[in-house]
Amino acid sequence: MVAGLREFALRSGDGSGKPVLDESSGEELMHVQPSVAVALGNRPVEFPGTLYITSRKLIWLSDVDMAKGYAVDFLSISLHAVSRDPEAYSSPCIYTQIEVEEDEDDDDDSDTESTEVLDLSKIREMRLVPSDSTQLETMFDVFCECAELNPEPVDEEEEEESGHNWVFSADQMDVRGGADEDAEWQISQSPTSVIGHSNGDEGLAQPMLELQINDQRFEDAEEMVHESETKDHH
Amino acid sequence: MLFFSYFKDLVGQEVTVELKNDLAIRGTLHSVDQYLNIKLENTKVVDQDKYPHMLSVRNCFIRGSVVRYVQLPKDGVDVDLLHDAARREARGG
Repeated sequence: MVAGLREFALRSGDGSGKPVLDESSGEELMHVQPSVAVALGNRPVEFPGTLYITSRKLIWLSDVDMAKGYAVDFLSISLHAVSRDPEAYSSPCIYTQIEVEEDEDDDDDSDTESTEVLDLSKIREMRLVPSDSTQLETMFDVFCECAELNPEPVDEEEEEESGHNWVFSADQMDVRGGADEDAEWQISQSPTSVIGHSNGDEGLAQPMLELQINDQRFEDAEEMVHESETKDHH
Repeated sequence: MLFFSYFKDLVGQEVTVELKNDLAIRGTLHSVDQYLNIKLENTKVVDQDKYPHMLSVRNCFIRGSVVRYVQLPKDGVDVDLLHDAARREARGG
């Protein structure tokens, strides 16, 4: 997976001009919008082209230059919106913001002006302008659908492991081992009660059955002989 | 799922969403999903200096993973209730 906007020109050989998708990973074509212009950053609009919306990414392919096309994964699209404000942009369009890896020295947008070498991975805004502006709501809805299909990937291992050792409050006991140093604690009135409530997490469900008490009153009588000479034993 | 449920209750209220890239957008909360993706209506960019081109868009969809804060209406939060619910949820209760 590539972050940010990138070039894309893989078209299928069947003459349809459609982009090649990664079917092995389940990528599907969700919507095709012909006659769409694309404006990257502050650059002038590029036209004519066709927008292909797949379950994984957006692809814009030029209708006239077979080697020109752009793609961006939905994972990299921070937000998208229908823009109809003429003050914001001359034509109604779908405005998208692309998540870019921040570079320390990269504050100004001079790279996105019309220069010879364009670094696509630095493009932060992209507008898609359909010739038919009545299509904007449909496009917006498809964008939403596809964005929902691409949540942040969850690390498999992380999800299965349940012993995170979270601490919820100051009075939470460490119920596992190490009773020696903690022996001063007043643990509970009933030594066999189960501390806390869990939904099956083994670590937390371990009941405190063994009471560790280090109280002088429970010391062996012999050690107390010198003190108890004048007292009764209890 | 706690915050998903919490945000569902806030639908219709005005919130300001601050993204991790510092952009702040104010709008009416239209809907939220389990990934905390947020849809806002009648949005306005709070600080127009950084993103002047984005003056006002009618609907916008914000990816949950890029949200830093969601600023809530003052009376939109019962802090104690939320606090207790969060603790219960963390314990799996």
